[in-house]
Amino acid sequence: MTAPLGRVVATERKPNTPHEFHFWTSLDCPVGIGTIVRVDGSHPIDGQIPHIYGIVVEGFSYTDLQSPMHDVLGHDGSPSNAGFAVTERSEIRLYTAAVLRQIPEEPLQPVPMGEVFLAGEEDVATALRMDAYLKDGAHTGIPIGVYRAGATDSVIWLDADFLLGPEAAHLNISGMSGLATKTSAVEWLLSSVFTHFPESKGSIAAVCFNVKGPDLCYLDQPASRLEESDRALYEKMKVEPAPFKKVQYFAPYTSKGFTLNTLRSNEALLHNVTPLTWGLREVLQYAEVLLNKDDLDAKADALIDFIGERVVNRRMEREGPLSRDHTVESFADLEAWFRDLLSGMEKMNTDSWRTHHIATIRKVRNRLSNISTRCAGLVTDSGHVSDLPFGSFEDRAVYVVDVASLEEDAQDLIFARIVSRLREHLERRDLGVKHLIVFVDELNKYAPNDAQDTYVRKMLLDISERGRYLGLVLFSAQQFRSQVHRRVVGNSGTALYGRMDGDELATPGYAVLSPATRTKLATLEKGQLMVRHPHFTQPIFVRFPRPSVLSGREGAEQFPQAADIGIEAALYRSLRTIDPQVTLAWVKDIAWQYDEEDLIEARNATMRERPSNARQFFESRLRKIVPVEKATPERRVSPLRPLPVGDPYES
Amino acid sequence: MGHRTGVSQSHDRHTNQWPASPHEATRFILDALPDCTPVEAQSPELDRFSHGEDVPVLLPPELIEGETFRAIHVADPRSRGASGFTAFLDGTQDVRVVNQVFGIPIVWATVSAVIRSRVNRRLVTWSGSAPVVRRGYYIPFRYVDGMRDDLRSHPQVTDTAKADSAGNIPSRHPAALMEAAIQRVQQDRESVEIHLAEEWCAKEDGVLFVDGSITASQRVSTSHRAVGVVKSHRRLYADGDAFRTVVALRAGERSSIFRVAPRSRYPVASWYVRLRPPAGRDALFGLVRVEAAVSGDMSQRADEISRWIMAEGSPLALPDGRWDKMAYGIRDTEEFLRAIS
Repeated sequence: MTAPLGRVVATERKPNTPHEFHFWTSLDCPVGIGTIVRVDGSHPIDGQIPHIYGIVVEGFSYTDLQSPMHDVLGHDGSPSNAGFAVTERSEIRLYTAAVLRQIPEEPLQPVPMGEVFLAGEEDVATALRMDAYLKDGAHTGIPIGVYRAGATDSVIWLDADFLLGPEAAHLNISGMSGLATKTSAVEWLLSSVFTHFPESKGSIAAVCFNVKGPDLCYLDQPASRLEESDRALYEKMKVEPAPFKKVQYFAPYTSKGFTLNTLRSNEALLHNVTPLTWGLREVLQYAEVLLNKDDLDAKADALIDFIGERVVNRRMEREGPLSRDHTVESFADLEAWFRDLLSGMEKMNTDSWRTHHIATIRKVRNRLSNISTRCAGLVTDSGHVSDLPFGSFEDRAVYVVDVASLEEDAQDLIFARIVSRLREHLERRDLGVKHLIVFVDELNKYAPNDAQDTYVRKMLLDISERGRYLGLVLFSAQQFRSQVHRRVVGNSGTALYGRMDGDELATPGYAVLSPATRTKLATLEKGQLMVRHPHFTQPIFVRFPRPSVLSGREGAEQFPQAADIGIEAALYRSLRTIDPQVTLAWVKDIAWQYDEEDLIEARNATMRERPSNARQFFESRLRKIVPVEKATPERRVSPLRPLPVGDPYES
Repeated sequence: MGHRTGVSQSHDRHTNQWPASPHEATRFILDALPDCTPVEAQSPELDRFSHGEDVPVLLPPELIEGETFRAIHVADPRSRGASGFTAFLDGTQDVRVVNQVFGIPIVWATVSAVIRSRVNRRLVTWSGSAPVVRRGYYIPFRYVDGMRDDLRSHPQVTDTAKADSAGNIPSRHPAALMEAAIQRVQQDRESVEIHLAEEWCAKEDGVLFVDGSITASQRVSTSHRAVGVVKSHRRLYADGDAFRTVVALRAGERSSIFRVAPRSRYPVASWYVRLRPPAGRDALFGLVRVEAAVSGDMSQRADEISRWIMAEGSPLALPDGRWDKMAYGIRDTEEFLRAIS
């Protein structure tokens, strides 16, 4: 039997309640804010000795000194004299603990007097109600970190049902930037989920939106340094300290269309980077993401719907103002259709076509045509589509969509469309996996509390409120939780907190935490988190290991971004990923003959089809060029007869 | 009492219902003495007796150091020297009239004592002997009719109306009975203190700081392992010229050593020490009388012990009203006893 480390105390001024109690310890006791303790009552209730589990939320220390002035007087006003006192004043370490669990749970009574013990591993499991989901045969635990206090080293498990649905679901992470909280925690947690997610619950994958810098660009690369302490944590939590095995990157092209717009553009890493390009059909459905309220009045909305339903991908025969037949499959086709329509209306001197006023048609033309310019690199005039593998998502795979370098409009469009498609596929149960985690950082930007309603925010709200029924789980992160829409964070069953800013902690959302807990949050070390989970009645502090993948900063140093290159080098790099026989000389030999636009289109088609003979396919997609024939010298025709000498008509 | 682990009961409880608080004591005796009535608050007159103080008296010092009674500088009062004391002994008493039987006070008292030893500059309860807490009734048997035999024979019930060695019996006057009860309580407190001090002297090598006189025990009064420090000066050993010397002692000075041998007690060497500057205060401010076993090198030892006592003045024993004379270790023992008794 271990020795008690403290005793419960209660006074009339500071009584114990069913949810809080006080205890004192010796001065050298390994108790601090966040320590889990167990109280053994001394009197049985219904024949059972009560055990109360609590977590320390506040600490006090004081001496028998009644006034600070007494200490000043006692040392003649000289602090240095204090060191010579033969006796140190009586001092107390008094702690307040919040009750995590009482056994028996009924009747719920104030915490009785009793001895206080440091909670062991088994106590921690009981205190946090983890025993309910760590049973043999029904183990749904996902390790989030290790709780440490004294000699106790206990794995803290989240319940998969409450982290990934169908119960509470969703996770939200808050923490200051640059302190290895948000990204590191998500990388670690994904590893843990992929390792421990029960087979019986089906397949799972993750789609991560990389919204800033190179944060998520090297998930398939091993960490450059993992210390022994990190490895010990991995071992303790039975997670392999290795990078993700299945990672696929998606990034749009730059506006020039040569190279991918991602920090993961190093040639050595291009093998699993896929272009993300959409055409008219893909974009039109989400036009409202890119059009503001002024653009999108009822009339414009009606015309866009008409174009989507009756124009795009349909043959529109010559009629009325249209001078020819149209098949609109791309932005270029749409522009030609608009041009023909408006020209015809002007010639016919008519104001409306099929109830749509010419001004509305002009406005919609202007706004839609603008999209391919605003989202250049993502939206193609040609209609070429390269997308995530909807329908064939793999189990335990991570799909990273790199939108870090994109304009805000393009980011919004990507986010809206991908999440919508994921949702549609999950509804139809044909995504390829049963559960999908969507990770979005910077919720302060995408789902702010105080800004106007946006399409992206609506989508995030929708996921957080209804996603769990579909298996669509939102892992979100932000620096200031208080400035994120309440329903997004409120619907997150699990919340992680890294080191927090003092101003943020002063907001009302943190008022439920004790001052000491808030202070601890403001001073958390790297690798420490505070965890709130539906099973835990109080927040718990845990340690988690460094992610086993290359960090963004180190990755950017190890795999520098490719320099801005010309069309030939860009073609060479792209095609080589399909066919290693492609040489720069071969590319140069072909490229000089064609426009960049033709070359890019042929490249895109080749990348899309991924044929066995990439060179032949690439060449076949280019227009035939008739070889230049050498002109033969003109033959002179000899005169029939010479002119007579002295001919009077000769001039 | 009895809830605290490690605190010894100096008696065996006759019954499980032996009271542990004045409130319980009131109820208990109501059952044992049918004619008694509870006392909620005692009168100021009775309260005055509960302090049990002697009449102030000046006594001539019997010098054993030098020819004249003089002041001797022993330490700079501003310096903080080391202390040779390794533990502190103090006892407390709490006396209350809980009931009365036709005007006869039924007294309930708690006496306690503890030794707190110093380990790494912090005070902990001495492991050599547990703290002692005694609770009992002090009843003048002869004036209370109908006392049950089990109560009369209970070891925690003391007869306060027994005849003394001269055959004198306290009168029925409540104040006289109260005074007699107080005396018995003081004797009981002194006995538990002596018990602990003798245990210390038998088991330990370090020097014990005893709050009060050490003359009640032969073993303690002759041991170099105990020093008594008396804060009250109802008996002032400074008659005649010595009085001026004592009241004029400056901080860091001690008086000449004199012999103290109270009646029916054991002789010790004694001297006065001024712990704090008396400027602007009364004459006895910061003045203590020290008692130690008589030894050959008494002057040197008195100097050393005086310096130790001065060192014990830090930290201050505030907020105790006797902070000018009280060592912090004694305040700690009193706080400890208040917590357990």
